[in-house]
Order: sequence, then C-alpha cells, then structure tokens
Amino acid sequence: MDLYRNLTIRQKQIVWAYAFLALPILFYSVIRFYPTGNAILISFQDWNLLGARTWTGLDNYVKLLGDPVFWQVFRNTFVYLLLGTPISLVISFIIAYHLDKTRFMHGFLRMLYFLPFMTSAVAMAWVWRWFYQPVPIGLFNNALASIGIPQIAFLNSTTNALPSVLAPAVWAGLGFQIIIFMAGLRAIPRSYYEAAKIDGVGWWTVLWEITIPLLKPTIVFIVVFSSIGFLRIFDHVFNMTTNNPGGPLNSTKPLVLMIYETAFDSFDMGYAAAQTVVLFLVLLVVSLIQLRILRDR
Amino acid sequence: MADLIIRDLVKTYDKTEVLHGISLDVKDGEFVVFVGPSGCGKSTTLRLIAGLEDTTSGEIEIGGRVVNNLEPKDRDIAMVFQNYAIYPHMTVRKNIGFGLRSSNKSKAEKEKRIEEVAALLDMTPLLNRKPSQLSGGQRQRVAIGRAMVRDPAVFLFDEPLSNLDAQLRTQMRLEIKKLHQRVGSTIVFVTHDQVEAMTMADRIVIMKDGHIQQVGTPQEVYHKPANTFVARFIGAPSMNMLAGQVKDGAVVLAGGNAVPVPVAVPDGKKVLVGVRPEDLHPEGETSLLEGTVSLAEPLGHETLLYVETPSGEVISKADGRTPPGVGARVALHALKENLHLFDAETEQAIT
Repeated sequence: MDLYRNLTIRQKQIVWAYAFLALPILFYSVIRFYPTGNAILISFQDWNLLGARTWTGLDNYVKLLGDPVFWQVFRNTFVYLLLGTPISLVISFIIAYHLDKTRFMHGFLRMLYFLPFMTSAVAMAWVWRWFYQPVPIGLFNNALASIGIPQIAFLNSTTNALPSVLAPAVWAGLGFQIIIFMAGLRAIPRSYYEAAKIDGVGWWTVLWEITIPLLKPTIVFIVVFSSIGFLRIFDHVFNMTTNNPGGPLNSTKPLVLMIYETAFDSFDMGYAAAQTVVLFLVLLVVSLIQLRILRDR
Repeated sequence: MADLIIRDLVKTYDKTEVLHGISLDVKDGEFVVFVGPSGCGKSTTLRLIAGLEDTTSGEIEIGGRVVNNLEPKDRDIAMVFQNYAIYPHMTVRKNIGFGLRSSNKSKAEKEKRIEEVAALLDMTPLLNRKPSQLSGGQRQRVAIGRAMVRDPAVFLFDEPLSNLDAQLRTQMRLEIKKLHQRVGSTIVFVTHDQVEAMTMADRIVIMKDGHIQQVGTPQEVYHKPANTFVARFIGAPSMNMLAGQVKDGAVVLAGGNAVPVPVAVPDGKKVLVGVRPEDLHPEGETSLLEGTVSLAEPLGHETLLYVETPSGEVISKADGRTPPGVGARVALHALKENLHLFDAETEQAIT
C-alpha cells in the first residue's frame, strides 16, 4: 500500500483511469480486435469451420477478383450506398426543416417519424414484402389496379427489386436522422435568422447560405453514419427475398449477404473472410473520403 | 436619416400585456437609450420597431411613414444584436456585404460601400478574416459594419455591449458615441446598464413593467427624477429614501429631525425624502440625520459609509483620506437643493 501512497496525485489518477479502462480494453481486445485480426488471418487460409486450417496465400483474393457474383454484389452495395445516403439525407432534412417550424402536434408527429427506427427490421421487411405482392394481396398493386395502372413486379424484377428493398431501409433510418437534424437546427441561434430578415434576404438564400453551412457538422455525422449503414445492409434484403436471398439473379444481394452465404451455407470461411476484409477496407476508405471532403478546409 | 414616432404602442403575448401604450418621439439624428430592469419591455419595444414582432395596437412611424405592416427590410432600419449574429462561416467582407444582398446596386458599388464602411470602422486589414479569428470587440464592429453598410434611417442596438468585458465595454461605448457624432444617424439603443445609458444618450427612456417612467436628458433624469423608481435606478449607489411626514412646511423624519422643504406641501402628508449618497456627507452645516457607521467601503478617492439611522440604513460618501471609522457616531449633512421630495403613496415627485 505504501507504493500507492507515495505516488503523486497525477500518477494516482492515471492508476485509477487504467483500473476503470481495464474492462473495456479487455472486452475490446477479446470481442473486437482479436476476431478482426483473426479474420484477416483466415482470409489467407482455407477452412471449413471444422477441419484444419491450411495456408493458401492470396488464393482467396484471386478467386474473389475473378468471381462475377462478387462484382455484381460489389456494384449492388454501392448502389445501396449511392442511392440510399443522398435520398435519406434530403428527405430527412426536408422533414426536419418543416417539422421544426410546426407547432401543431409537434411531439406526436416527431414520434410518428421516429417509430420506424424502433421497429424490428424483420417485421418491417415482411410488412413491406406484403405491400409489394401482386394483385389480390399486395397493397401497392391493388391501389394501382384500382386506378387502372398496370401492375408492377416490385420484388420479382431485376431492375425494380433493389430500389424496392432500399425504400423500407431508407424509411427505417429516417426517424433517427430527423431527430439529429432537428437538434442541429435548434442549435442555430435565432438571431441569425432575425438578422437575415432585417437584411431582407429571401428564404432560399437563408437556407443555402445560413442554415445548411451551419448544419455542416450535423450533415457530416449523418452522411458517415448512414453510409456505414447502407454499406452493411443485410436484414432488409434477407427478409424480403427469403426464398432466394439476394435475388432475383443476385440483383439485390449486398456484400454482407454474400459473406453470410459463403460462410454459413458454403462453409468456405477463408473466402468469406477475404470478402469481409474487402468490406472493411471499403468502409474505411468511404468514411475517410467523406470526412476529408466534408471537414472544414 | 429620419425621425421615429411611436404612438400608444401595445403588445400582448396571448393574454399577457407586456407593453401598455407607449408613446415617444425620436428626432432625426438623436441618440435615444432605452434602459430598465430585465422584463421591462425595452427589448420588446425595439423588436416591434424592427418588425421582428407584430404590434398588437398602436402606430410606429419612421421618416413620416407608418411601418406597422411593412416587412423589416422595408422599414429602412438596421439592427445590431446582443450576440452580434455574424455568420461564423463567412469572412468579414461577406458578413458586412450580407446587408447589401437585397439591394440592387452593382457589384462594384457594393464592393466600394463595403470598403468605405470597413475604413470607417478601422477594419480594412481584417476584411478577409473569419469571425473566429477576431476578438470580441472586433466582432462587435463587424456587426455594426453590417448595419451601417445599408445606410439605414434608424439604427437599433439590442444590448450590444453586454457580452464584452468591462474594459472593452467602456471602449466600445466611446466608439459608438464617436461613430454617432460622425455619421449622425438616428439611434435607438437598449441596455440594462444605467452607466451606458447616462454616458451615451442624448435622451434616456426609463422603462418599468411595460410603462415609460421618464424621458429626459441624462441631466434631467439624474437631477429631476420623476418618481422613486427612476430616482433609485439612475445613479450608483442608489438614492437613499427617508420616510417622513409634513408638518408646518417641514418634513419630520423618523429620527425627529425636521427638514425644511422648498415646495408647499399640505400638512400631514406622508412623503419620501430622497438624497443621493454623493450629496450626503458626514461634514457640513445642515444636519439631516445622525447614526452609527456600520460598514465602510474604501474606494480610494472616496469612502462609502453605511450608516444605521432611525430612518434605516443610508449610504453616504465620505472623504477618501480621513473617513470616520466603523462604529463612529456621525451627523450626515446635505444641501437643501439636493433633496428630492416624493409622495409616499403615488411615489411621484413633488415639485
């Protein structure tokens, strides 16, 4: 005990800080960093989960580069990202901007928008799947039929399926983004708007030159978060296309679903790990690029 | 340049009336300061003049034009806000230029005007900086620059100095006053600081609870306060109020001393005798009241004495070098012409 007593206050603080940090450090090493390192290791090996691991060098990556399904899936993943992020950003901003000005039933409306975020993705996916069914069952096609518009094959067409799967995913994330945007909007001092009013500039100028520039930190946060979300999309796709996951013809299959199938249907752990490493690198690069572009110069 | 006339201005929020019919004439080129405790309606009045809030009833006239139903931009006013409201993502040049966005001048003319204003405020070398690279006083000047660039008829200042430290506040106070002398525009300035009001104003408007208490030059409100509120609010430390009753043309104070009063007041009337600490000294000829010094605050050139008297605690100013010590028995003196007389019931001045 003498040893501890003779430490300076600063050294004592450090001892305590590390004492409290020990648990999270242990947790992160065992649950996060060790598997991450292991995945990278496995990506250079051949392993079926039960047998021995054999070293195969870059074979998994070579196979990946030559796999047409991988390139299809890679493209799908980026379509999810490049459609999902801007669409959800614009929609959530528009809703937050107007909700911020609405006093009538403000709390109730905000709750309605936030509700999908709390709902189970599985339940949501199945409800939307029912919406998309052909005529006597599906809600959307029934509505179209009643006004005499031909049916749309939402989930059974290679061109329509991906946007149809994306729609509920965007909708599910809106609530969270709206809340974040509203917090950002509230943080802008009112006198900025009053000064603009006295200077007599139009609402468009106010929006583009005051509101949006001042919301930049909020926008960066939402873009990075929703990008990561769309790059990792899985449960919506899996549940809306259960009979043929990622179908039709792999047209909705994202990278995470491919990893899942390679690992737990084909038990090709090495190949799945190689795909995971690629996903990890994509996430890393996309996030770094966004931070670089959106950060203050 | 224009005069500003307010007639019977009333403002209510839901059912609560916060301004109860205010009337005021501000002449062209005049520097008028609204002063009062928080919640007195001074900022509301300013926001009504600016058009940031709708008037409930009454009229606002700027330069001979009733502006009640005009948008702020059409009222020919500019406003400087307490937190400056300068945009952190724009350079000083863009911030000042923002005031010109809605004008239809050519680009070259706008640039010229920005340069002019910057020169007037000694800001030319700072034009390409962002607000985060400026000090508090410089940000304040950017805000003033943005208001000046439009060359408005009336400038409105909403407590612009309260975010600055004491030294800077004194300096900016001077700068704004000098600017007013040079530019000569009509200014309405809101503050809760009576020193700011006294030092800058041509005329002071003292407000309380949505009513104007008195309008007058700094000398008038200091030497001839209209009621006890103004008397206490203007001047620091506050004016002492001594309760008494009139008898045979003199006021008999609680301690039994009779003070002759200059004006004729009916016998038996309850009055308050007001005397400022700076007019009440422990030496002199006509003794007003006696008491014991309970506390002394040395300020260097003078000492504030807190004296326990039969009329309660009063504050007196004594010499800085040889003040009476704590516990000393003192007789306090004041000149007759420095006494103020108020009706104890209505709290209005008796003249």
